Amino acid sequence: MRRENLDFQARVDALRPVNASKHLDFFGKLLMDNREMTIWEHDTRLLPAGARIWRRRAKDFARRYIRPDAARADSRPREYDPRPIISQAARKGFQTLLLALPLGTAFPGSYFLKSASFQVAVVAEEFAVESGGIALLLMAHHLGCAPLILSGHTPTILRHLLPLYARTLKGKPEIMAFAITEPGAGSDVEETEGGAKARLVTTARQVDGGFVINGRKCFISNGALADKVTLFAKLEGEGLESWTCFLIEKGMEGYSIGRQEHKLGQRASDASELILDDVRVPNRNVVGRLRSGWANNRNVLNYSRPVVGAMALGHARGAFESALKFCRNTMLGGKRLIDYQDIQIELADMIVKLWSARALIWHSCSQFRCYQSASAAAKVAASDISFEVCTKALEIMGDHGYLESSGAERLWRDSRLTQIYEGTNQINRLAVIEHQWAEITAGSDGRD
Amino acid sequence: MDLSLYAREGEREFVELTRSFVRKSVQPLFGDNAPDGDLGMVPSILDTAFEVGLAASPHSGMPGFEYGIWGTSADNPEGVRLSAILLSVVAEACPGIAMNLHVQGLASRIITSSKGSFPEPPVRVAAALQEGHTLPGFRAVLGQGRGPDDGIGTRALPTEKGWAITGTKSFVYSMEKADAFLVFCRIEGRSGKEDTGCLLVPADATGLKLQDIGGRTGIRACRLSHLILKDVEVSSECRFLPADDFPLMGQALCLHWLGISAMAAGNASGALKAAREYAATRYQGGAMIEEHPAVRKLLALSEARVEAAFALLVQTCSFAGGNTDFLRRCAIAKLMTTDWAFSAVTDALQVFGGYGYMEDYCMEKRLRDAIVLKSAAGSRNYLEAFISDAARGEI
Repeated sequence: MRRENLDFQARVDALRPVNASKHLDFFGKLLMDNREMTIWEHDTRLLPAGARIWRRRAKDFARRYIRPDAARADSRPREYDPRPIISQAARKGFQTLLLALPLGTAFPGSYFLKSASFQVAVVAEEFAVESGGIALLLMAHHLGCAPLILSGHTPTILRHLLPLYARTLKGKPEIMAFAITEPGAGSDVEETEGGAKARLVTTARQVDGGFVINGRKCFISNGALADKVTLFAKLEGEGLESWTCFLIEKGMEGYSIGRQEHKLGQRASDASELILDDVRVPNRNVVGRLRSGWANNRNVLNYSRPVVGAMALGHARGAFESALKFCRNTMLGGKRLIDYQDIQIELADMIVKLWSARALIWHSCSQFRCYQSASAAAKVAASDISFEVCTKALEIMGDHGYLESSGAERLWRDSRLTQIYEGTNQINRLAVIEHQWAEITAGSDGRD
Repeated sequence: MDLSLYAREGEREFVELTRSFVRKSVQPLFGDNAPDGDLGMVPSILDTAFEVGLAASPHSGMPGFEYGIWGTSADNPEGVRLSAILLSVVAEACPGIAMNLHVQGLASRIITSSKGSFPEPPVRVAAALQEGHTLPGFRAVLGQGRGPDDGIGTRALPTEKGWAITGTKSFVYSMEKADAFLVFCRIEGRSGKEDTGCLLVPADATGLKLQDIGGRTGIRACRLSHLILKDVEVSSECRFLPADDFPLMGQALCLHWLGISAMAAGNASGALKAAREYAATRYQGGAMIEEHPAVRKLLALSEARVEAAFALLVQTCSFAGGNTDFLRRCAIAKLMTTDWAFSAVTDALQVFGGYGYMEDYCMEKRLRDAIVLKSAAGSRNYLEAFISDAARGEI
């Protein structure tokens, strides 16, 4: 290298903040953070102790157990047996995070100072980095459990949730699913005005000792796999106002699995039709009070949407990491792609978006009760960012990006679903407005 | 919302012929439950395309020699525009089938427009333009490259009868039964001087190997492989030279980018039509969803993007010619139309809600095809650099 180049490089090195900071006073140095640390590590250290532990455990679990299964579960979902990984996750405590120790496995500090969703969201991101399908497989279980807790109905919790958690902790997990969507009512059941006009068919008729349910549910994640389903039905002769949550158990007479969907991505978790043909459900399987289903459902969405946002974020982070690896290893014009400034700008853009999504997700579940506008906003922002970042990751890799071997291609497919389920992003935007309606309509000039 | 609206009097019969081909031959492809249709039917569909003259060929005895997609009639802006329109009509039903016709036409056009003395032109051909990660840079395309770093590392060394070619061309789209490949490479003359040029390599040449690319997300109806050449000997008549000063690589890229733009726009137009149809029949929230403001917004944006893509594509065709300005415009068209088309497809898919994500309505296939068209043959970063260099007149 020529002398002037060496001189220039030496000057550049001297000007780097880490070296320039040597000229600062002691307190100046103290106030400047020059630690060489990954973004992941920086963010992890921001977390309360319990959530920090779960983040590290989840990353380790995802790499050891999810990564090896990810491609196979996607390419041959019908042949993939998810039970071993579910059992493994249960043994490690990932399937009992909706209750704090000692009833569940969430750390009490993060559980009560943040929300029940917070530690689940932290874990969801790590799982989704490796596989959208397996992440959904494990996370849909929490969604199925959520109505049991959010019903606030002590007998339900004692009768159903605690025994289920106890069995799970012993390594005999039962898989839960959550069923609201019907063939003629998807977004309707996730929004107030739509709900008022919804054409629902699943109906519960009161009989001696319980209810008889008829109807169909569709697109139910883990529907075919689940041992138990929290399923919502209107009462006979009434509308959505009468929605009531029932705990349906595999093996109940008249309960069967219909069509299983062929999806673009997230294939490890089935999306199935549930058929209810005169299914007799005892009174003890009514979750919460009669007619409390609509409120329970809406609150479940408040708690689940940050988790969906976190899954979306995970897909994007996984795709980003694949693109980064590609840019490190690919030579163009005598230098690595990563050494080109235009590529660095693209990558920086992706980092900024990932970071902002994580900030909003963590914010949305950072108080004891999750609330509608923040949860919906986090889900919209994270899923839109996710698909954008995944698309960009594929583009950076050019023709290599759309190959299955790129790693990012599968996550790109997985990512697209997060803009649709748990309410389409259009419905979620309306949810933000609905919850902030008083604020939005206050004053003619938009001010208080 | 249909590129065929840009067809002029006298061109409509070609559009109708193409529509008839799509109806009778391409649509039955999607009769079964496979997400990309019954790909076993593709060879017979392509045979039909040759029979009806939709597939061009460098062989003058073939029906599509003149008026097939990128046939010899594409030697002026009107002909280029018509080929782009026909491609978009096919892509509206299946971009993978359209890709077959496009790559066949592109290679045919290079052969028929150049000076070459190949005695018996092959019927089915494909062009191998790319190496490694991406296409050659602006300077290399214009023959001003400075070595393998500029994206053309494949070399042809002189032999007694012609040349021996060694190198790897990547991501070559071709028909399943291609007879020959147009390989763009550095050709060393007998004097030792190197030039960028184009050689026709028979598919059965010794030392030529097609490496399967593995699983990919879309455009699965068209074969995609890497072309590995190891001392592949070709005769001196296999070299093609441009009829004018503009390099063949530049001509090939112009058509390639226009073709991909046309397919992306056609695919988006098909997605939009499907979404409109669905929105008019799906009842939710007390009304057909086409009445819902959120759905109307999605459809309006999708339509605006499809129209913008069509307009830019047609405008770019009107500048067709062998010059760097057209090359720059084609790069811009590829950059913008594939982006708009991708957004239009994803918005159209969103209209279907959960059903859009399932295989039933083929919307997920349209999305997969759209991302391939966006990423293939020049990523966003590559095109931005290319346009920037071209705008600076860096020759």
